[in-house]
Amino acid sequence: MITAAVFLFTYSLVLTLSPAARERTWDVAYRWTHWLGFASWCFSFGLAHWQIRKKAPESDPYLLPVAALLSGWGLITIWRLLPDFGLRQAVWMVLCALLIYLGLRKPGLLRALRRYKYVWLVSGLLLMSLTLIFGTNPMGGSQRLWLGCCGFYFQPSEPLKLLLVVYLAAYLADRMPLKLRLFTLLAPTVLLTGIALLLLFVQRDLGTASVFIFIYASSLYFASGRKRVLIASGALILLGGLAAYFAFDVVRLRIDAWLNPWLDPSGRSYQIVQSLLAIANGGILGRGVGIGNPGLVPVAHSDFIFASIAEETGLAGTLGLLLAIGLFTARGMVIAISAANRFQRLLAAGLTTYISAQSILIIGGNLRLLPLTGITLPFVSYGGSSLVVSFLAVLILVQISLTEEEEPAPLPFTQPYRLLPVILGVGIFAAALVNGWWAVVRSPALLSRTDNARRSIADRFVMRGSLFDQHNTPITVTLGESGSYRRTYLYPDLAPITGYTHPSFGQAGLESSLDNYLRGLQGNPTRLIWWNQMLYGTPPPGLDVRLTINLVLQTRADELLGDRTGAVVLLNAENGEILAMASHPSYDPNQLDQIGETVAGSPSAPLLNRATQGQYPPGEALTPILNVLGVSTETEIRSIHASLGLYETPDLRMPVAVASDPSDESLLVSPLQMALAAATFSGDGIRPAARIAQAVNIRPQGWVILPPNSSAIEVLPANDALLVTEALVIGKTNFWECRGQARRDGNIFSWYLAGTTVNWQGTPLAIAVVLEANRPDLAEFIGQKMLEAAVK
Amino acid sequence: MSGPVLFVLRLLITASIYAFLAWAFWALWRDVLQQSALLANRKIPTISLNIRPAREELRVSHFIQPEILIGRDLAADVRADDETLSARHARLTYHHRQWWLEDLQSTNGTFLNRERLYTPTVVVSGDRVDCGSMMFTIGLAMEGINPPTQKIPARIDELD
Repeated sequence: MITAAVFLFTYSLVLTLSPAARERTWDVAYRWTHWLGFASWCFSFGLAHWQIRKKAPESDPYLLPVAALLSGWGLITIWRLLPDFGLRQAVWMVLCALLIYLGLRKPGLLRALRRYKYVWLVSGLLLMSLTLIFGTNPMGGSQRLWLGCCGFYFQPSEPLKLLLVVYLAAYLADRMPLKLRLFTLLAPTVLLTGIALLLLFVQRDLGTASVFIFIYASSLYFASGRKRVLIASGALILLGGLAAYFAFDVVRLRIDAWLNPWLDPSGRSYQIVQSLLAIANGGILGRGVGIGNPGLVPVAHSDFIFASIAEETGLAGTLGLLLAIGLFTARGMVIAISAANRFQRLLAAGLTTYISAQSILIIGGNLRLLPLTGITLPFVSYGGSSLVVSFLAVLILVQISLTEEEEPAPLPFTQPYRLLPVILGVGIFAAALVNGWWAVVRSPALLSRTDNARRSIADRFVMRGSLFDQHNTPITVTLGESGSYRRTYLYPDLAPITGYTHPSFGQAGLESSLDNYLRGLQGNPTRLIWWNQMLYGTPPPGLDVRLTINLVLQTRADELLGDRTGAVVLLNAENGEILAMASHPSYDPNQLDQIGETVAGSPSAPLLNRATQGQYPPGEALTPILNVLGVSTETEIRSIHASLGLYETPDLRMPVAVASDPSDESLLVSPLQMALAAATFSGDGIRPAARIAQAVNIRPQGWVILPPNSSAIEVLPANDALLVTEALVIGKTNFWECRGQARRDGNIFSWYLAGTTVNWQGTPLAIAVVLEANRPDLAEFIGQKMLEAAVK
Repeated sequence: MSGPVLFVLRLLITASIYAFLAWAFWALWRDVLQQSALLANRKIPTISLNIRPAREELRVSHFIQPEILIGRDLAADVRADDETLSARHARLTYHHRQWWLEDLQSTNGTFLNRERLYTPTVVVSGDRVDCGSMMFTIGLAMEGINPPTQKIPARIDELD
């Protein structure tokens, strides 16, 4: 009992401090309210424990501590998810303790249960049928399974489970020894259970219905010791399930989602996929109480509380939970075997089976071991009626264990008391194995799924690296405070190139291709990444990346391009560094929340980076060069195209269009490829490898150069390059140029290529401009102005 | 930093769950020890039989085992070469803190205080048993359970 309190105290303490770990500072608003829950837990179980010590010192010493541990764990988890619900659960818990307190003062409880079995069951059924007329759903769903008003709701199907166990135990204990003809014997039980099932079917509460069938089958098996009862009911459940599959949409949906969750992860199997993601995120040690994101799973406080616990305490925690359930089952069975009479034995066995089987059913549902059923996890889940009924079961078991001192009743058949615990044990063991499978083996694959919202949540709490231009002027930065970090794009015109990172639209451009650096998953020491994952469940703070972009030239390019559709690529012909890269039309990534849908569907495709992903026919753009080189045949042209890299996809750290194949009917090139081709002439026949990401700021070393992905290659004789630049030189300047038009599908494109000549003493430059309009003059104007700006 | 502190606390949480379970299993283990010690200390009251077989001298036998077979069989504990006795005639067993006499479907039947025995019946000191032509009276030592010689662990509910 004390250990359980220590556990819960630490649990609450961690929950209080958890915001500090999320935001990585001590200066945060701590969570305090759940201590109220802890206090009410202490009061409840202090009272119950004291009463048991006083009234029933010889009773089973394990049941109450296990129930207390589970319900306290559940209470704090619910409080962590939804404080309002936690408060209600705490009130219910105090009520349960009072129930145990009063129940232990009434030693005649068991006899009353046995004597008035029909009264109990029929009143339970009546309550249940009242839901047909007065039923409501406090959550606003379509299943009207609750009775009550004014914020106090009650689910009659919960006590009905208990009453069914009581009734069956009483009836079978009275009748079984007299006759052995099963069918006449069982008529009343079949009738009453049938009515209960019918009510549940009408109410579409099929999870509870399956628990009922299980309770009925196991009670009968305990009483009769005939294995065929078990086999027959197993077949019945299968048949019923099959029939329900075709009759009820709910069932079909659930079964389909169970068999093929990956087909429709955002729709029908959303719940189960999110549950598995939560379990995978928990891993072995869990993310820590209050540090995970179990709120992403729907109804996490009730049906999916196991997934929440798995995320925050990990496999280590859930194995403990499963062991606790196993302990409860084992003790319940021991109580059953040593019970003083048949009624008590059947009652204890029935109650244990009910609690244990329901736990396995819903945990199995969370783990995709079994189809999902909308039932609660006894003791742990939110739900007053469920909690009260579970504690009533504990009360009854404690009372039965009190009579252990008497000689146990003779046991006519031992098989049920051996086989059913084994079945339940196998169920718990299977749940543990499957839990390990999702939390360890499949975890990395699951967590990298795009529908894992935890990545973008982590972005709100962990500083993402910034993007800088070559002079360390910020381009894209993360602003705000931990918990509300926001990506801010200081130079929105670069949006098609730098891209965006957004919780619902995902990532694009450099934000996507450099994500590992910006998110701190690459460049940081492995130990640091592992340590951060362990401590905070997030990647370490991201690393800044310096681009080769020169913001002065970039601004000029954007000004010149204005509202025309096209692209400009200016690069250093010697080392391939991209100094300016413009793609218009652009968009403002700061406003993605509002304009995201419009932009994504826009026919002018502003999201597209025309400079690297745009594919245009080269048309006559290269014709002047080909003429200078004296190339005319198809094969020769192709060989020049190949030398200039028009059939090669440039390899740099950003998304690029795949180059055309020489065998393709029409050649399509991107402005980047054309700029690299131009650079070949300005760089004495050496085609550089394009670079956009220059360096990454790794602490503590400082800026570390990111080498280009490929290397420069000599593709033309230096003489040929010289020949071209001299022939195409512009007047008395140090620039060469060529321009041309291209046509495709009725659209006209204007190209302009230019670069520095050998006479230029400074850094050799090359530029490519494309306009999606018949304006070669404008392309030329833009290109020349850019070169002028660049040589300054 | 907050992370390492919380990490230690998180490990404590996990440790406390397992401490709880360890407590439970330890208590269960104590229970097993206690139960076995209790059973080991529970002595069977010695039974002595004043046997008067047909045509033989009266003799007194003492037994300490919990099961005594009476019959012509070579393995029987109370044996007599007597044709009125079946091979496995009757059995005395100790369970539920009583000695029980049970007829093993013998040919001539077992009689307890001159009444034919059909179901296992509790016997007490001075009871007369007839198996065929063999007769014996039962004497039971008075003390039921010897005082424990081994220390019995405290009850588990005092441990938490």
